[in-house]
Amino acid sequence: MHVNYWNEIKKDNLGRKGLYMIGFLAVIAVGAGLLAPHDPFAYVAPPLNPPSLSHPLGTNEVGQDVFSELLYGARTTLLIGSLAALFSTLLSLITGLLAGVLRGWVERVLLRLIDVMLVIPVFLVALLVAAYVQPGEVTLIVLLSLLLWPPGSRIVWAQVLSLRGQGHVAAARSFGAGQSYVAIRHLVPELYPLLAVNFIQVVRRAVFMEAGMAFLGVFDPSQKSWGLMLHYARDFMFTEAWTWWLLPPAVAISFTIIAFALVGYSLETALDPRLRRPVYAGD
Amino acid sequence: MRKRVGDYILALLIILLLNFLLPRLMPGDPITAMYGDAHVEMTPQMEAHLLERYGLDGPMGEQFVIYISNLFQGDLGYSFYFNAPVSEVLLGALPWTLLLVVISLFLAAVVGILWGAESAWRRGRRFDRASLVAVMLLNGIPGFVLGILLLLLLGFFWPVFPISGGASPYADYTGIARMADISRHLFLPALTLTLAQLPRNFLLMRSTLLAVKEKPYVFTARSKGLKERLIRYRHALRGALSPVITRLGMSVGLMFTAVLFVEIVFAYPGLGHLFYLALQYHDYPTIHGCLLIITVCVLVFNLAADLINQKIDPRLRQKDARQLLE
Repeated sequence: MHVNYWNEIKKDNLGRKGLYMIGFLAVIAVGAGLLAPHDPFAYVAPPLNPPSLSHPLGTNEVGQDVFSELLYGARTTLLIGSLAALFSTLLSLITGLLAGVLRGWVERVLLRLIDVMLVIPVFLVALLVAAYVQPGEVTLIVLLSLLLWPPGSRIVWAQVLSLRGQGHVAAARSFGAGQSYVAIRHLVPELYPLLAVNFIQVVRRAVFMEAGMAFLGVFDPSQKSWGLMLHYARDFMFTEAWTWWLLPPAVAISFTIIAFALVGYSLETALDPRLRRPVYAGD
Repeated sequence: MRKRVGDYILALLIILLLNFLLPRLMPGDPITAMYGDAHVEMTPQMEAHLLERYGLDGPMGEQFVIYISNLFQGDLGYSFYFNAPVSEVLLGALPWTLLLVVISLFLAAVVGILWGAESAWRRGRRFDRASLVAVMLLNGIPGFVLGILLLLLLGFFWPVFPISGGASPYADYTGIARMADISRHLFLPALTLTLAQLPRNFLLMRSTLLAVKEKPYVFTARSKGLKERLIRYRHALRGALSPVITRLGMSVGLMFTAVLFVEIVFAYPGLGHLFYLALQYHDYPTIHGCLLIITVCVLVFNLAADLINQKIDPRLRQKDARQLLE
């Protein structure tokens, strides 16, 4: 598992493109305040204005600047996506380690829980909860973290089992190292590449789920989010407004998901020795 | 196998518990939490009737017993928005969703498996690289975005297909005309759903076959001098199919998520559309009913995938042989 995954992505054409795309998004998210020509919450012009010099993407149905909304939307999307992925990856790590290191009934209970949660349609559960508590950013991050950890946990568990059988871990144990010492010093560092892949994949899922929930209108309407923009723009989709109001957030969502998918795919390829094999002429 | 069934039953129990607990944990009185906006229009008699019927002022344990026993009698509550029993509303929507899901599942599986296989055999060549890029792009477009774009393109600017509904209203078609009408309405939603599912099947088939084609039995088949077509489709493809079908079954949960969006975009009269309407009007009994029935569907499809797998892969027929493969 000793792969310099950073180099692997940069070497890979698709992965490099994905990284550039994520970098671009990050710049927009951080600099939204400077880049946006208007306050996205202010009513700056008559509603449904077509694009003009001062409003590059026109205005929405209440007269807010669509371009500024779009820039601030990147902030919401990346914030929710990355934090939900961070927390759910941490959950995966903790549960996977507990199951793999402690074994016994802890392992049985956790694995069963994971198997069961993999069967449940999580998005619909998220919607059910959201129907009761109109979620804002924080609630959504918590909700997504709690729903998205099981697949990663299973992978961590399997890897821990295989690592425990390896020489250096057995050696550390035989020198009298405790379970938690071995877990932190020997197991966790070897799990980093897997966790990185998991993180990227969960970001993708979280971005999709946030956009989907906002699109369905179960998201705090005072936030600026691409999904919410689509939600409102859909009522006007058969008017001229679709080109400047509906299309941009649709493209932005797809752009983000594709960016993370590209990086995730190239990481996965780098880590899977089966897929790494050189290409033969007759292949 | 017995463990799988146990997982399904547990999953069902968790959904039931969630459906039961969520409204009861909400602050405020239980009728508002259970019936949402409809509470405003209720008469005191109706309230008293509901309180008594569902034991809403009793202790939790008692309420749960009543809830479960009602469920087994097919009583999922009453929808005030649709003004009908929830079970009736659900049964009206279910066939539409099943039609959409089954057709798209089949198309996405066949196209995804064949395309993925072709791509894997041509690994690294132009066809494979182009396919990969196309699939990655397609994979990045969420179903609802894809649906909206297809709707605008093929329903509005170039109106070859109807933009909403499952059949023409008030048309009174019968026989073949009705089937044609339903198919026309089905086309765009099914296309969207198929395209949304395609990438996963493609990628899965491609990576599985990449591993399988290095297996000794493929080498053996080749050294026996078998025809390339035979090696590819009878030996390698069959070996790669089993994990793909397992994962297909597992992905039905995602399919029911996707179908929700597709139905909303096309106002297709299935469970997803129903769920959306119920969500908007805080019709909680219907929301719970939808969730329950969708979970049951997912479990049934998963189970079916397991059974089909046993038919295809003789190794799985032996007891506990599953573990050997994993």
